Amino acid sequence: MRVLTVDDSRTILAMLHHTLSNAGFEVLQAEDGQKGLDVLATEAVDVVITDINMPVMDGIEFIKNVRASGQHNSLPILILTTETSQDKRDQGRAAGGTGWIVKPFDPEKLISVINRVVH
Amino acid sequence: MSDLDDFKATFFDECSELLGELEEQFAAIEAGDRTANRLNAVFRAVHSIKGGGGAFGFVEMVAFAHAYETLLDHVRDGRIELSDPVTVLCIRANDLLADFVKAARTGASLGPGYGADERAQFDALTRGEPIGSHGGDAGGAPMDEFDIDFVPVMVDLAPSAAAAPAPAEDSFANLPLTAERGHWEIHFAPHSELYSRANDPLLLFRELGNLGELTVTAKLGEIPPLADFEPYGIYCSWELTLVSPTATAASIAEVFEFVEGNCDLSIALLAGANNPPAEPTLDELAALVMPPVADDGPGLSFADLAETLKTEAPVRAPAAAPILLRPAEPAPMSAAEESDADRRGGEADRRTAVQSIRVDLDKVDRVVNMVGELVITQSMLTQQMDDTLRARYQELVRGLEVLAQTTRGLQDAVMAIRAQPVKSVFSRMPRLVRDLAQKTGKKIKLETIGEATEIDKTVIEQLSDPLTHMIRNSCDHGIETPEARRALGKPEIGTIRLSAEQAGGNILIAVEDDGGGINRDRVLQVARDRLVIGPDQQLTEEQIDNLIFAPGFSTATEVSDISGRGVGMDVVLSNIKKIGGSVHVRSRTGQGTRMTLRLPLTLAVLDVMLVRVGPSPYVVPLSSIVETIQCSRADFGRAPSGAKVLRVRGEYVQVVDLAERFELTGGAELANRFVVLCEAEGGTKVALVVDDIIGQQQVVIKSLEENFESIDGIAGGTILGDGNVALIVDVQGLKAQKLHKNAA
Repeated sequence: MRVLTVDDSRTILAMLHHTLSNAGFEVLQAEDGQKGLDVLATEAVDVVITDINMPVMDGIEFIKNVRASGQHNSLPILILTTETSQDKRDQGRAAGGTGWIVKPFDPEKLISVINRVVH
Repeated sequence: MSDLDDFKATFFDECSELLGELEEQFAAIEAGDRTANRLNAVFRAVHSIKGGGGAFGFVEMVAFAHAYETLLDHVRDGRIELSDPVTVLCIRANDLLADFVKAARTGASLGPGYGADERAQFDALTRGEPIGSHGGDAGGAPMDEFDIDFVPVMVDLAPSAAAAPAPAEDSFANLPLTAERGHWEIHFAPHSELYSRANDPLLLFRELGNLGELTVTAKLGEIPPLADFEPYGIYCSWELTLVSPTATAASIAEVFEFVEGNCDLSIALLAGANNPPAEPTLDELAALVMPPVADDGPGLSFADLAETLKTEAPVRAPAAAPILLRPAEPAPMSAAEESDADRRGGEADRRTAVQSIRVDLDKVDRVVNMVGELVITQSMLTQQMDDTLRARYQELVRGLEVLAQTTRGLQDAVMAIRAQPVKSVFSRMPRLVRDLAQKTGKKIKLETIGEATEIDKTVIEQLSDPLTHMIRNSCDHGIETPEARRALGKPEIGTIRLSAEQAGGNILIAVEDDGGGINRDRVLQVARDRLVIGPDQQLTEEQIDNLIFAPGFSTATEVSDISGRGVGMDVVLSNIKKIGGSVHVRSRTGQGTRMTLRLPLTLAVLDVMLVRVGPSPYVVPLSSIVETIQCSRADFGRAPSGAKVLRVRGEYVQVVDLAERFELTGGAELANRFVVLCEAEGGTKVALVVDDIIGQQQVVIKSLEENFESIDGIAGGTILGDGNVALIVDVQGLKAQKLHKNAA
């Protein structure tokens, strides 16, 4: 199972990598939405986890672009968010986000949320 | 152990960068650039600090960052205007955030009241009150709001999550929240958005199945005749029965959390809860694709439909007809299989290209040291090659030449690893200038040039304090008050220019202001009062300017809390000398002052000229040597004071005989000796008399102070290729001593 993680924070990327690779996932990383799209252009992944606030291309735009490509209609995209205000999450969902993970996440929850959206 | 410690280290590294970013962005914002990009970058930086802080449970930091972030969010989308007072508050917030980060790093606690004032102001602003309107209730009030706001309710699957507040339009809001048990009936009708967001009913059912015994019945009554069938149409809904002793409305709703609003959903607890379900129970989720007998349908069973579609609609399978569980897109299973095959095909480890890695500085330093030793060994080998050997072993000579080249390349490469742009130090200065301008009531703008100039990390670390002192000095003593400037016909806003450039083997860092220049009369008077110089001693302007570097010297009439404690500039000088650099000051009355730091590109390796004085080898840094002259051709003379001078192209230069200076005997005849003409800081020259010139080479500097003690006129030691120790002559130090001797 391959996961693409998109976040501008090295700390979060490192923690995701650690948690996910321990759980047996193969982890790809990108530091912003644009780089995430670049990865998706060449790599097959099973699920995407993306931050919202990022430079260059934020998470909302990233999700919109992924869905607009038509290539990834069934690719689950989880939004990483610390926002508890509904609106960020709703924007992410409206853009095509499948679900969300609230930071700070604990490893078990992270994996269980992923398992909710992948086969 | 500790992945967590690793993550923390990464986090704090990142925090330093983010805090630097904040400084930088606010410097630009202050300068009038309030574009959305800047505000977004600021928001992101605070957001990232909060996000990471949350992961490690730095509660105080997160609470503060959260309140600050909320303010920034309001500023970002225009709900709050970024007025000057708001900017000032933000800059203050950046400081506090840095304090919180520092406290988290050191494990200290700042106490619950820390930053409470500011938080109260954030909250007041976000409530729409004007800045400053908030009174004194700086207590912990924001903490409560924060708590409510930040509890991560959505992934918390524990039963307590049932109490999480649901939004008003939430279709689950009217569900009983008590943990009633038993027999649940769920009606679920997805909207098309559910599919377009890659949610999958099958997965939801799988999860429901984890709660208890699940029966799934697909309602196919909506499926139209084939002629009217739209590939992306939604025709299917489900009735589900869940029998579970533990399930609650909340835990069921939780399963549908991600599809809330994208489906019609009703969840009901059946009366007579313990009745067995009327329909036969199917525990396999695969049951989904086994349609019930479609007795209420349009006379076409699903199996028939699927069969028909297979033959009649070959290209577009019945798109999102949910029953087929996402057949619209390239079938997910086969896609997964393909990607599996891909991976097996040898592309398993293709990952995104790694742009950079982080390495512990100790490791780099070990490499630097080893390369240093390698340089010594290499030069030793070269020295061992006498002419006989050279003639006999030409291959060896060639090999040694290549080795020398490679070593040099390796050295450069290692130094490049340690090199960092001076930006990291420069970026702290706008803030300093702003603060100082505020404190002194002056108007000052800072220009920075050459931020990308790279310099050894160790040098950079040592640069912060001296630069801070220099800039303080410029703000405090250099730039005049706006009134004074107006009276002088200068622009009201003073300018301090901070620049960095590479010049040969050195980096020049200059702090230049357009203030009043050094007040030489006053400097001279103070120097005389304090007996730094004799009462009748005549000094050139340059010598007077250099008095500001004398220990304990201060010209400030009142000691301000900014600079003027009289420890500033001599500390600058000694810090810079410590890292092998020098300081030069040039001032023009009424026009300003320019101080230049000349720093070595790298600390570890020095290009030197090897000379002999008496029986001992000495090395003189090549960067300070102007020329060498045979003594027999040198034009020596006597100054009126009796001091020996050398005349070079009409200029008189101080002579320092190293044999005399270091009290070494066995010197050669003067005529056979050499003069090494060196340029000290400020462009003044000093002529060193040595017994012999041996040659040029590279040496690795070893500190004397660390291993022995500081010696006047000696900048350090080094080990030569033949294993002998040579001392490095401190040209600047020799010249300064000379001045002191005269002064005394």
